[in-house]
Formats: sequence, structure tokens, C-alpha cells
Amino acid sequence: MQVAENMTMLDKIYHGMYITILILLALMLFACLIRAIKGPRIADRIVAVNMMGTMVMVMIAVLSLLLKEGFLVDICLIYAMVSFLAVVVISKVYMGVYREKEQEGKREQKKAQEEGGAVGGNH
Amino acid sequence: MEIIEWIKLIVGGALLLCGLSIFLIELYGIFHLDYVLNRMHAAAMGDTLGISFSLVGLMIFSGFNFTTLKMALIVIFLWFASPVSSHMLARLEVTTNENLKEHCKVYSELEELEKELKENRTNTEAGGENI
Repeated sequence: MQVAENMTMLDKIYHGMYITILILLALMLFACLIRAIKGPRIADRIVAVNMMGTMVMVMIAVLSLLLKEGFLVDICLIYAMVSFLAVVVISKVYMGVYREKEQEGKREQKKAQEEGGAVGGNH
Repeated sequence: MEIIEWIKLIVGGALLLCGLSIFLIELYGIFHLDYVLNRMHAAAMGDTLGISFSLVGLMIFSGFNFTTLKMALIVIFLWFASPVSSHMLARLEVTTNENLKEHCKVYSELEELEKELKENRTNTEAGGENI
């Protein structure tokens, strides 16, 4: 939004406040990104990404008031739904993959044990 | 009418500032605590309280229209969604972490936990009488 010359005092304050809040939220977003990169476990990363989603939602809502475009709030609502769905799906998929690997490992162990026993019996 | 606009600005700005400070506390918690299940506690705070404060502040700015309704819908949706996603994440962590016992106490049977809780309760009651 361009800063028009005929803006009242109140409009100027609103404009400055929105810009300040957007900058602060962007800084916090970067801190979240650091956590998402550093996080030792996968759950750390998902928590950080979820937090980033929340902050982006506030940013979009502020932006919709700054640009005076009401439809941006719809995008915010959809963003909330998508980020919730992403967390649920990613955690489900990761758990499934982990269980599959575990079972495979067990099966291989069993096979190795049986073979070892057979070899021992022959001798 | 000018004065109402200024009151709106002050109240909305204060609420928005509260929301931002909650986000800051959340960020501090995320870096300060050292295990996922503890960090989740800090992260869930921003999901409900932080965004509620911020969006209520923005609702006051926008006045009485459809934008306000949509923002309220976001807050209500997050109230339902945030606990569910936290639960899923906790389950993910508990299933995939093989050395969970290093970080917290694990009860294999529910009865053990109930027994210990009952003992604790009786101990605190006895302690309270002594004092």
C-alpha cells in the first residue's frame, strides 16, 4: 500500500503499526526456522513448522487489514486447515513407515536365527 | 466519533501486543526446553492463546463485518485442531523414540500409575495434617 499524502493521523498510526507487526512476526518466523533446522528429532521439526504456520496465519490476517482485502482471511482459514491436515498426515505416515521397518527388522532377525540354528544342527 | 476510533486503536493495539508477547514466550520456550514433549507444551500455547489474542485485536480493528466472522471461525477451528495435532505428535514421539525412558518415566501398566498417584495423594494429605 502506498502512503498517500492525504492520510489522517489515525491512518498513519495504523499503517506504521501493521508494518511493525509484520516485521516482528517475520523475525520470529526466522527463529522458528532455525528451530526447524536444528531440531534433533522429527517431532521437533513438525512442532516448529506448526508454529510457523500459526505465525503465518496472523501475518495473513494483518495483511488483509493492511491491504483492505477481505478475501485474504479466507486464505488464512484454508491455511489453518491445510497445516492441521499436514501435521496429522505426516505423523501418521511416519509412524506407519517406522512400524513397517520395525517388523521387517524382526523378520530378518528371525530368519537369521533359524538359519543359524539349522547350520548348528547340521554340524 | 473520533474518540471511539482512538479507543479502538488502543484496545486493539494492546490485544495485538499481548498476542505478540505470547508468541515471544512461545519462542523462548521452544529454545529453552530440551525435549520434544516439553517443547510441545510451549508450542500449543501460541496455537490457542497467541492467535486468539492477535485475532481478537484485529477483529476490533476491522469492526463489525464478515471479515470479523471469518477471523472468529479461524480461532474456533484452531481450538479444535491444535489439541488433536498435539496428540498426534505426542503419539509419534512415543512410538518412534526407542530410549524414551531417559527423558521421562514410562508405565507399562495403567494400574501402576494409578497406584502411585493414590500413594502420592495419601502422602500429601498426611503431610497437610502434620503442618
